[in-house]
Amino acid sequence: MAFRDLSTEYAGRGAAMFRLALKTGALTVFTLGFYRFWMKTRMRRYYWSAIRPGGHPLEFTGKATEMLIGFLTAVVFLSFYIGLVNLVLMFFSFSLFKSEAPAYAVSFLGLVPIFFFAHYRARRYILARTRWRGIRFGLEPGVKGYVWRASLWWLVTLLTAGILWPVKTYELEKYRTDRTFYGDQRFEQTGGRWSLMAAMKHVWLGVALIAAGVGMATAGDEPIWLIAAAMGGVWAALGLAYWKAESFRRLSAGKKLGEAGLRARPRAGRIVGIYLIGALAISAILTALVAGLLVLIGLLFALLDPEVISRGFDDFASLAALPAWAATALGLVAYFAVFLFWGVLREVFITMPMARHFAESLEIVNPDALLAIRQRPRDEFAEAEGFADALPLGDGI
Amino acid sequence: MTVATALAAFADFLGGERAVVERVEIVLAPDRLTIHRPDGKSLHWLAADLRELPDQADRTALVLTHPGDPLARLMVADKEIVARLRANAPALHRRPPLENKRRILGWGLGALASVALIIFVLVPVMANQLAAYLPPSGEKALGDATYERIRAALGDNMLPVEVCEAPEGRAALAAMAARLNAGPDLPYAVDIAVLDHDLVNAFAMPGGRVVIFRGLLEEAANPDEVAAVLAHELGHVANRDPTRDALRLAGSVGVLGLIFGDFAGGTVVLMLANQLINAQYSQSAEAGADDYAHARLTEAGLPPAALGTFFERLRDEYGDAEGLAAHFSTHPQMTARIEAARAAQEAAERAGRTGTPALDAGQWRALRAICGAVVDAPVAGKALGGKKAGG
Repeated sequence: MAFRDLSTEYAGRGAAMFRLALKTGALTVFTLGFYRFWMKTRMRRYYWSAIRPGGHPLEFTGKATEMLIGFLTAVVFLSFYIGLVNLVLMFFSFSLFKSEAPAYAVSFLGLVPIFFFAHYRARRYILARTRWRGIRFGLEPGVKGYVWRASLWWLVTLLTAGILWPVKTYELEKYRTDRTFYGDQRFEQTGGRWSLMAAMKHVWLGVALIAAGVGMATAGDEPIWLIAAAMGGVWAALGLAYWKAESFRRLSAGKKLGEAGLRARPRAGRIVGIYLIGALAISAILTALVAGLLVLIGLLFALLDPEVISRGFDDFASLAALPAWAATALGLVAYFAVFLFWGVLREVFITMPMARHFAESLEIVNPDALLAIRQRPRDEFAEAEGFADALPLGDGI
Repeated sequence: MTVATALAAFADFLGGERAVVERVEIVLAPDRLTIHRPDGKSLHWLAADLRELPDQADRTALVLTHPGDPLARLMVADKEIVARLRANAPALHRRPPLENKRRILGWGLGALASVALIIFVLVPVMANQLAAYLPPSGEKALGDATYERIRAALGDNMLPVEVCEAPEGRAALAAMAARLNAGPDLPYAVDIAVLDHDLVNAFAMPGGRVVIFRGLLEEAANPDEVAAVLAHELGHVANRDPTRDALRLAGSVGVLGLIFGDFAGGTVVLMLANQLINAQYSQSAEAGADDYAHARLTEAGLPPAALGTFFERLRDEYGDAEGLAAHFSTHPQMTARIEAARAAQEAAERAGRTGTPALDAGQWRALRAICGAVVDAPVAGKALGGKKAGG
């Protein structure tokens, strides 16, 4: 028997995500960041369960306590490096070079391999704690090979002024995918080293347009050419959205899981739309929030010191009626409120619509091959993603 | 309630062995949920054992698990069964017991110990050792970087704070520095600048840079008080405290960033935590600089009590830092410092080391006008703070 290709439903809702993100985000602020492991776990459970290939949700089975232990482990090891090495570097930097820049540069370079290490380990943890149809995903151990390959390909990318970025993307994706399992079945990334080059074409066109525009403007002293450069900037920005969609499409098409495969058709226009509408919505709501806070503070002032209105409001010195601790408290509340809402709104208006679009464009080809797949043993992997959490890696969910 | 009747429906079951979704018949009785699997076997899940997967996006359906079979999942979409389970299953949202308590505790203590070791022992010890080996030119570079940063941070509208350069004022300042004669103790020339800012404060920076704010010149009642503050800052320079601080900061800020993560931008918490740590270190550094100042002032025939009278006025105006605030304050409690200044004054008077004020009336006026602003100076003749303290 042959099944139809499986399409993917998306069950995430803005309102539910808003509540969850606000609640867990507020708890994280109140606990000075300690709750963030629970926040991450709960957000992931939601995001995973929203993605439903063939109508059945993904499940994230990670536990916050695992992440806490992993984080503590990373702190034990990394704090020595970060504390002592940075201090010694700063000393030599000022002794030998009379400047702090070399210390920052060396310190950053020393961290680069640890970033790649953390990245691979985090991927391993996340896959080991992801299930679909009750079957675990997994990533083979192989972090050494990843660290040197990633260092090499990043170096190549830098040396070629970014021209080989698509090759780097493909090579690293292939290294990870070829070690990824669904149950007992190994994934394979096909397509070839150069297969993503064309996905970058609009970025290059945009960059070429900028270079040509700036070149003509300076060479011929005709500022009119700067318009071409500005157009090139817009073109490159749209080109990045095209790259995001097209590279995902090509990489998905190249992924094989035995006889089964993937197909994805995200659209660049939609990605641009999500960013534009998201940015508009976020700035509108944040502006309203700040305005509301200011009105509230103004009312408070008027209550404390009714003369403030007749006296006029020139600068903050005219608000002397407010005791210093209250001003500090208000400032902190405003700071954290804006920060918190910024994070929450980004989830609701950018991350989730993006996840929805990519998920809904994803199909599983020839799903009968999945029927033969068996469970894989649990990967205990006690360190979880501690290193990734301790270093500011950004959240690659 | 219709709990007594059994309800039946179809649902999706995942056994956790193969990537196959089983279509099963489920029967809900008051005390249990029976699952009839296609291979003929049946599972009986007691109502008290049913758990719902938390934080699911699709709230209309229910994903059930059972503590006895951690891999199995039952996905129930039937509205009536879902509603009845939500209303009646007694432990649907009970959390699994916390595992690994010991490991969490162990690693937690380990992390605390290693961070404490690094921030409170290794980093300060290394900073103290290395500060002595940093060549003077390196120290100067460190100081210049800090100086520009402070000017930029206190500036308005992106412009750094102005440096006050009135020639007569600079001459008065130079005369005061010459009188204190700290030169022989220092590996580099001292570079004293007045910044045009209201802060009642003065800073020492690595490499012999000392900064006095206009606000302090205005707050001081007489030149001896300014000389006392200057001597205190020179004490920091002689003890290389700013260099130690800068090296220590390089070590501890990264570690703190590690702990708090990118929580809420991190900066506010980071700054508070760093302030708390620094306050612990600096109390002894401040006392050391005070001692140095008392010695230098006595040597120069200036009243050490001037440091005390100045603090006394600050305390009357701004209050002492007691309690919680004291932890955040980098200076030892003022009362203690005033006492110390008085004791030094008595010792100086016994030794007969009292001389003329640090500046004459004309110099004092020039110093106060160094930023161009003409301020109403208290009469310079009343400048003997020592009398007050001694009497």
